[in-house]
Amino acid sequence: MLYFTLASKAYSRNLQYRGAHMVHNLASAMFGYMYACLWIGIGADHTLGEYGTQGMISYIAFTQSSLWISGFLTNGLGIPLSVRTGQIALDLMRPVHLFTHLMAREWGQIAYQFVYKSIPIYLLFSIVFSLHWPSDVSTLFYAALGLAGAAYLSICMNYIIGATSMWTTESSWLHWGNHAMMNLLAGFFIPLEWLPNWLEQLAWISPYPFLLYVPTRIYLGFEDGSLLWGTLLWCVFMTLICLVITQVLRRKVEVQGG
Amino acid sequence: MKRTSWFHLYKMLIRTSIRSRMQYKFNFIMASVLAALIQISEFLMVALVLHRFGAIKGWSLHEIGYLFAIMTLSKTLYRTFGNEVHHLEKYLVNGELDQLLTRPMPVLLALLPQNFRIMAGEVLQGGFILCWSLAGMMYSGQIGWIAIPFSLLIILTGAVILFSIGLATATLGFWTTRIEELQTITEDAARTAAQYPLTLYPKWMSGILLTVIPVGFVNYIPSLYLLRGEGGAWVLVAVAAVAVLSLAASLRFWQFGLTKYQSTGS
Amino acid sequence: MNMITARHLQKEFKTPVIREGRFSGLRTLFSRETVSKEAVRDISFDIGPGEFVGYIGPNGAGKSTTIKMLTGILHPTSGEVRLDGMNPHQDRRRTVGRLGVVFGQRSQLWWDLPVKDSYDILAEMYGVRTEDKKKRLSQFAELLDLESFWATPVRKLSLGQRMRADLAASMLHDPELLFLDEPTIGLDVNAKRNIRQFLRTLNEEFGKTILLTTHDMDDIEQLCSRVMVINHGQLTYDGSIPSLRDTIGLPTLIRVTYRGSYLMPDTIPTAIQITGVEGQIVTVEVNRKEWSTMDILKQLEQWGEIEDVEMKEPDFEDIIHRVY
Repeated sequence: MLYFTLASKAYSRNLQYRGAHMVHNLASAMFGYMYACLWIGIGADHTLGEYGTQGMISYIAFTQSSLWISGFLTNGLGIPLSVRTGQIALDLMRPVHLFTHLMAREWGQIAYQFVYKSIPIYLLFSIVFSLHWPSDVSTLFYAALGLAGAAYLSICMNYIIGATSMWTTESSWLHWGNHAMMNLLAGFFIPLEWLPNWLEQLAWISPYPFLLYVPTRIYLGFEDGSLLWGTLLWCVFMTLICLVITQVLRRKVEVQGG
Repeated sequence: MKRTSWFHLYKMLIRTSIRSRMQYKFNFIMASVLAALIQISEFLMVALVLHRFGAIKGWSLHEIGYLFAIMTLSKTLYRTFGNEVHHLEKYLVNGELDQLLTRPMPVLLALLPQNFRIMAGEVLQGGFILCWSLAGMMYSGQIGWIAIPFSLLIILTGAVILFSIGLATATLGFWTTRIEELQTITEDAARTAAQYPLTLYPKWMSGILLTVIPVGFVNYIPSLYLLRGEGGAWVLVAVAAVAVLSLAASLRFWQFGLTKYQSTGS
Repeated sequence: MNMITARHLQKEFKTPVIREGRFSGLRTLFSRETVSKEAVRDISFDIGPGEFVGYIGPNGAGKSTTIKMLTGILHPTSGEVRLDGMNPHQDRRRTVGRLGVVFGQRSQLWWDLPVKDSYDILAEMYGVRTEDKKKRLSQFAELLDLESFWATPVRKLSLGQRMRADLAASMLHDPELLFLDEPTIGLDVNAKRNIRQFLRTLNEEFGKTILLTTHDMDDIEQLCSRVMVINHGQLTYDGSIPSLRDTIGLPTLIRVTYRGSYLMPDTIPTAIQITGVEGQIVTVEVNRKEWSTMDILKQLEQWGEIEDVEMKEPDFEDIIHRVY
């Protein structure tokens, strides 16, 4: 019940800015439109693998929309800010585990962004580019799972990045580094199979492909659900790291007095 | 006051701004480097695509790198000197503009030096990509040495054009107060679009990027002449003309907007 | 020539109507309906050189809007302003160079730098010669006691110190006309006294024309020879303070202490209102416009032997409330 409240508070806090967000959606959609134009341009002179030009447009449309689920989360889940104000000591003392506490809030945020950003943007793309939606229920189901997993992974990663702000004020390096990795390794603009081999292998060692590439591939019908095992593995692994980090954090606060 | 003392005053205000920032012992370099890294990763993305496919609409990696670099450096020049125009919303919401209006100097002259800072990271990143792309094209014989001074020239005209767009967008704030959303479109989105050859976009979009929001004149149009030999030297003259015209137009618009200023409170 | 001339000033603010309901933000953005608010309706006045005028009114009455129009920050929807013959809207820079302005809520000094640095910059901005700057600053330093925080960064100053520094800054280029917007707000009693003394000196010794807006009625009473009251965008009073009292006609309070016994007659003149009786002390309210003080005292003497008399004029605050 508590978690639901935390999530819905985060959700409703955003509602008052709906109007401004809609205008912002237009700007976001424009970026996607530009990338789509790029691929159309490339597709005019080259064959685009198993996607074809229309497939690449769908690829871009889906990844751009999913950014609001697994890409644009609250910086460090709010931990860096909380460390600066000293609020973190209070948060750690609560009878709620910090990780689940912040995660619940973030789910609310993600839910809002899904409804008011991802969906409108994807609808816009669908209309402009006459996109086909998958008709297969299992495709949609697996894609949804993939997105949920991606969101969860992203929450964990932001948590870890946020936690480092306890030790250094330079956590913004990690945040931006994460952003850069997203651009290159998550299949943000280029499907991973088109990266140079060494880079592609590097990508698959990291959790990044599971943030954008995997859900998109499933949605477009190029994968069945088997890659989701990878998502699951990473989710478990990340959760463990987050739990360990929370312990370390708590000990640091207890020793230092907050 | 005579013109020479405006310049003297301007320099003094810049020095004041720098001294103010020093008080905080801020690592301004760091923020700039981070921004540069993000931009590099953006370019790398496109570079990877071009690595795989060779060219986009007949534009090679070096040529696109050139477009990128010119845009980055123009924007850096604009934001070094004219950053407060981009942040005008803050002044409108806080009523801080009142203060500047009571000074016996042009409002812009009082406004612009307030946040002067060297964006080292972006200068390095833009400079690096520029050198790399120029070197590549000179090596393959596509361009000659003359391209270097011309490039510096169009960075300057580009900065003027970007500044004019920023100023015009900011002026709208006198009516709407909130301009950040609009700036995402006129400044960020337009600039990103112009980092790629305009032939990629449908006619209506490239039309806009050459008229209403003339970012196309920052890098694309000059590149048509400098890199591909299309047109003649008059292209550069036209670009300079666009820069001057857009500056004049935005300044007039700004003057008009000031008369509509509503301030805060009663 | 008049220092300040305002003719039929009017200022209308157009704000977009906030749309309620779903997608309110977006609909507001695209709707063209605006709500008009007339902050200043039709204000005209003249202020001569050397006058010290108070400009008061309740919140939202249009005080700040008027000041902003006078100083060139806002352009009036209609009407004209002339400051010493100059037009602040068409000739902003030249006009503004001859004004001093102090906003109580905001400083014009450079936040992160020592106070003295701000003066150097301002001197440069207003074209003040170094000798003049030095001379005036040492004068102000004495009058305002600036030496103690000369090298302190502005952000570290107390409110009182900052206000004194701001006042000196506004006078650095020796303007003949000074606008003050709530200069004593938030200050303690000593600071207020110090600043009032400075303003009095500026006006009486240096002949500066000063227009002061404030919520502090003591400021008005102690400094201003004339007061203008604005309410709902219009001037409801423009004249001297004594005649303001007369116009309003609030009663004077007289407290009489009788020795021994006293007897109040059955019929009392209507000019005298008895408001309290406590043992030997009788409190009455009288309107001194109708009866002179001597006559009233004579009347009260008839009731018994007076041991002590205390008179209390109506509070200036009360008077102002009447005007509002």
